[in-house]
Amino acid sequence: MKQPSGVIPDKVNLRLPGGFNLPPFGIQQVLALMIVCIALWAVGVIWLAMQGASQWVGSWQDEIRIHVYLHSTDAKKANNLQQKLEAVSDVGSVRQVSAQEAAVWMQSWLSDARMNQQELAKHLPVSFEISLTDGQSEFIFSDIREAATQFGAIVNEDEVDLAQAHHWMSQAGFLAGFASLILALAMALIISNTLRMTLLARSDEIHLMRLMGAQEWFVRMPFILEGMVLGAGAGVAAWFLLWPVVIGTGDWLSTMQVDLSSWGLLLPLLFGGSLVGTVGALIATAKVSSGEIPSN
Amino acid sequence: MSVDQAQIQMQRLMLRYPSGKTALSGVTLNINQGEFVYLVGESGAGKSSLLKMFYGGIRPSSGTLMVQGTDMRQAGDPKVRELRRHTGIIFQDHRLLFSRTVFENVALPLRVQGWKTERLIPRVRKVLSYVGLGDRLWSYPEALSGGEQQRVAIARAMTAKPAVILADEPTGNLDVDTARRVLDYLMDLNRQGATIIMATHDLHLLESHPGRVIQLHAGSLARGGS
Repeated sequence: MKQPSGVIPDKVNLRLPGGFNLPPFGIQQVLALMIVCIALWAVGVIWLAMQGASQWVGSWQDEIRIHVYLHSTDAKKANNLQQKLEAVSDVGSVRQVSAQEAAVWMQSWLSDARMNQQELAKHLPVSFEISLTDGQSEFIFSDIREAATQFGAIVNEDEVDLAQAHHWMSQAGFLAGFASLILALAMALIISNTLRMTLLARSDEIHLMRLMGAQEWFVRMPFILEGMVLGAGAGVAAWFLLWPVVIGTGDWLSTMQVDLSSWGLLLPLLFGGSLVGTVGALIATAKVSSGEIPSN
Repeated sequence: MSVDQAQIQMQRLMLRYPSGKTALSGVTLNINQGEFVYLVGESGAGKSSLLKMFYGGIRPSSGTLMVQGTDMRQAGDPKVRELRRHTGIIFQDHRLLFSRTVFENVALPLRVQGWKTERLIPRVRKVLSYVGLGDRLWSYPEALSGGEQQRVAIARAMTAKPAVILADEPTGNLDVDTARRVLDYLMDLNRQGATIIMATHDLHLLESHPGRVIQLHAGSLARGGS
């Protein structure tokens, strides 16, 4: 509909800083947004899982005790072994568990097997319970193992494995970071590909702008802004989609003393999305073709 | 005018495409500021190639070409960009953006130069009024006739007040009357001081709108050299 010339339509003033027009959002952009949203959601789920695992490990890791067993025939070495274990750095305390206490514990572990505790105590090894000041210390378990081996004792390796959960967590964190990086690269390429199609569709306009002496950044900026907006939009959408996961698993996770929160992921997803969108746009516009082919 | 006042200077200008085809060969001529120049010649004579060289669309293979003080063989991208900001270009197919309003099409050269919206609105309104389209600011080009579209293209070319306007067969798709009206506008711009260089096949326009005629034939200058 024709408008009177004295009136400036709103759309004329609806411009981005610098006078840039954001390219129109078409089906390609919507599809790219959905794909990037799913990828960002996957990244969000990975880091939520890391958050949950970290809370779960943290809930019991501080209470971990390592047990060292010395055969009852070597009971005379017990004092020397205890001193040796106490000398290991980052060992908080070493307590010799009495045979009676071990028998009671064994009895309860075997669901009140109604064994004769005196008889059971005779067959149990001499046990030491080690508390750690820093379970994440690099050499503590090999030092304990070495001290125990010197006296013919053995370390409860299952407990060592549990105590070393932080090590698995850091490996899982590394893998999560690597997966996030690969997904980010894929997202950047998807956005780049989408913008390339837009660039091709608008090559006439780009050619015109160049003929008018436009700076390269003037030509590239609308597409970079589009990539940024696309990535940020996908990030926010992915964050909203994390809520069903948090709510749906809440009851189950609370039994493990895990309380997930997706608020902490809002800014990383928003800025991460913007970043991959910007990188994708920079890749797409690195060499913008405008069809300026010499002809006569 | 003396050679010193020449806005465009060519010495033994040669253009050879990578395919080996020679588009221009040994062209030597000057175009002075304020001239109205017709580039005529058969198809393939080198008219469009010469115009493209004037705005840095293609670079000479040998010889010298100075446009508004810029050596087009040596000029880097920033120099070429600066030159283009002082050059208006009109095409036979007008190359308007059909997804943008007439206003946006005409405002594009000013946006490229960083004009603020408040400042460019009066300028765009003024040039569109000049070409008789002051009431079509917010129309889309597809709603305009061929003649009106070409007038929008003229408005776009003149909106940044360029020193040189290059027109590549701007009347090629227009009927005689509309073509004359387009020429009237270009003549008027010339009277206001702009140098107009227009490639054309419409030789009948020369009678009603006289100007300097430079004829090219098979890439060489046939008539109208300095």
